[in-house]
Amino acid sequence: MQLKTRKFINKLFSGTGIASVVIMTAFLLILLTPIAFRGLGAIFFTGTIEHRMLNCKEFGHGNREKIEKEFAKAKAAREPVYLQFDSFKKEVKNFDPEKRRELKSQLKEIKEFLKELLGPFPDEPTPVLLRNQYGQTRWKNAKEKFHHILYSEEWDYSDPDKPGVKLFIPRKKYFAKTSFESFFPYLEKNIKEMLLPEFTCYWQFLTDKSKDAHFFGGIMPEILGTIYLALGAMIFAVPLGILAAIYLSEYAKPGKVISFLRICMGALAGVPSIVFGLFGLAFFINTIHVSDSKSVLAGSLTLALLILPTVIRSAEEAIKAVPNTYREASLGLGAGKWHSIWTVVLPNALPGILTGTIISLGRAAGETAPIIFTAAVSVGLPLKIWETLSQPTPALSWNIYNLCTEHEAVDEIRHVQYGMVFVLIAIVLLFNLSAIIARARILKKLKS
Amino acid sequence: MNFNKKQSLVFSKKEAAFQRLGSSIGKGFLFLIASFSAVVVFLIFWFIVKDGIPFFVEKGFKEFFTGTNWYPAAEPGEFGALPIFVGTILVTLGAIIIAVPIGICAAVCLSDVLSFKIRQIAKPIVEMLAAVPSVAYGFFALVIFAPFLQKLGATSGTNVLNVSIILGIMALPTIVSVAEDALQAVGKDLREGSYALGATRAETLIKVVIPAAASGISAAVILGIMRAIGETMVVWMASGNAAQIPEPIYNVLQPVRTLTATIAGDMGEADHITGSMRYHVLFAMAASLLAISFLCNCISEWITTRKKY
Repeated sequence: MQLKTRKFINKLFSGTGIASVVIMTAFLLILLTPIAFRGLGAIFFTGTIEHRMLNCKEFGHGNREKIEKEFAKAKAAREPVYLQFDSFKKEVKNFDPEKRRELKSQLKEIKEFLKELLGPFPDEPTPVLLRNQYGQTRWKNAKEKFHHILYSEEWDYSDPDKPGVKLFIPRKKYFAKTSFESFFPYLEKNIKEMLLPEFTCYWQFLTDKSKDAHFFGGIMPEILGTIYLALGAMIFAVPLGILAAIYLSEYAKPGKVISFLRICMGALAGVPSIVFGLFGLAFFINTIHVSDSKSVLAGSLTLALLILPTVIRSAEEAIKAVPNTYREASLGLGAGKWHSIWTVVLPNALPGILTGTIISLGRAAGETAPIIFTAAVSVGLPLKIWETLSQPTPALSWNIYNLCTEHEAVDEIRHVQYGMVFVLIAIVLLFNLSAIIARARILKKLKS
Repeated sequence: MNFNKKQSLVFSKKEAAFQRLGSSIGKGFLFLIASFSAVVVFLIFWFIVKDGIPFFVEKGFKEFFTGTNWYPAAEPGEFGALPIFVGTILVTLGAIIIAVPIGICAAVCLSDVLSFKIRQIAKPIVEMLAAVPSVAYGFFALVIFAPFLQKLGATSGTNVLNVSIILGIMALPTIVSVAEDALQAVGKDLREGSYALGATRAETLIKVVIPAAASGISAAVILGIMRAIGETMVVWMASGNAAQIPEPIYNVLQPVRTLTATIAGDMGEADHITGSMRYHVLFAMAASLLAISFLCNCISEWITTRKKY
């Protein structure tokens, strides 16, 4: 082979390698960018007066007097809309039957969207569901509903070979040459006065309970549930893991028993997470009855088993990384074996153990499958610490699944879903980042 | 300090016996804790298999492994799980096709091509990919990637292709880190010997280092397969959950259903009727999953402990 081709192949080889690393980086960015961007949208967004009113009434946020003044202003701007709507409703009778039917169906649609946009009509009784008591709280969604009022959606199937094409027909056209025609320009002109959009920082998203199945409010019960589950798993797994690691690295002599134990640990690490969930249900709940049904305790125990192999492995590595001279020095000074492990080896291995622990804490916080049958419910209140022994809890990971597949209005609460995913990833990555930084510092220390 | 009491540097016989007894009790205690994970593995096997056996006793193996009708809620239920096994295999295969080439190239790049400084940046990226919770990947697949595929012309965005790509990316960090460890473990002497003979970096890696690390790299691939098979949330959210064999089988734009997703999805309904066939069949599936992962584990163990070059 010529030298040129060999050099070319060499470059190609390096290029493919670098390309694959670049692909991985690109994917991480593709994954995180929209989630971070839209997740932050759950906290920072353009909120309407309805949002301020809701927050004030349901959660007591904000200055009540000021908000009520604003709301009165918005109400005044809305009044002509309702007046015109009602007066035209009476006028409809005067049209010929065919036109009347068309106008009536249009009016009905407009009324529905108006209700969604601005809340219930003033002369209506208060609806039962909280989501119907208020108009659109977010300016972005309000604009969408507003578009539905101005334009009706129709499908064009004129070309039989192609799928239908969506058309937007201005509703104004249906009301041409009637007194209702001026309704639309008024709406367009005054929509901002009616909703008073302004930039909102709803940081209470992290500390509020949810209202009406996540239509409004925050995600505090979920965050708390995730923290309970992860910490609970730690409480069970870390002491066990560290003691097991001490035995495996300091006491165990290589032999059949130990290699058998290691195979078992490998098998435990390889068990699919959903099988852990089934096992938790069959063992912790149905057999030894740690609680009557799902509970944080059962979920934590299941998660603890899941992360146990990781904790053992990282603790063992950390203990093995402590130089042998330390042990010899301690033994030479007359300390016993356990004494030297406790006072010399463990303190030196602690940073490494901590790193592994933090990473598995993140893993426990993010796992979903093991808690489906053992701990998670879709809606719930934040638990007191003693209630975790017997009560199930909502958790970020499970509620993300639940909200984006089983919720009755998946599209309306996208911001909550993104917010939850963002918070979960932020929690897990923060844990990992701190572990990475801690490890880098330890490496530096060991080198110097 | 009390100097009046007579102290000897050497323990008396009694004291020494106590010491030895104490240390052996402590050692035994530690051993018990260390063997806890073995106990757990056996408990898991026992509880899953125990609840799976009644299904096989009643229905036999034939329908479960070869039937194609999956209607567990019907009366009497039909439990042909072949489409579900096929779905699992398809999705895993897709993930491996995507993850293995990229993963091995990236591992080679990380261990031999990149400079130390860039590696310090690239490694946390791999770790971050591994740390992102599976439900977040599932959310991405369902809410962002599936509509995107639909825009490109797929009838349904939740299909084999979607799941394969996402699972492949989830398996990447496992493959990269294990394969990189294997490549690092190949000694410098082999590399230097090859360079001394005038080989380029590409030739050294392809002809010397990668063959030497072959066992570790295949273990990495098997671990990646295990990650893909055992993954629940992504396949549950983004595979379409249709218990059917794609027609034709290589049509990646059709929805499938996998073992893990079936367990996760059906357990909520079957839970109320604990003891029914519907409940037991899910444990039978979990037992099959366990068997597969245990097999993979054994293979990787066997490969890594085999005599190296």
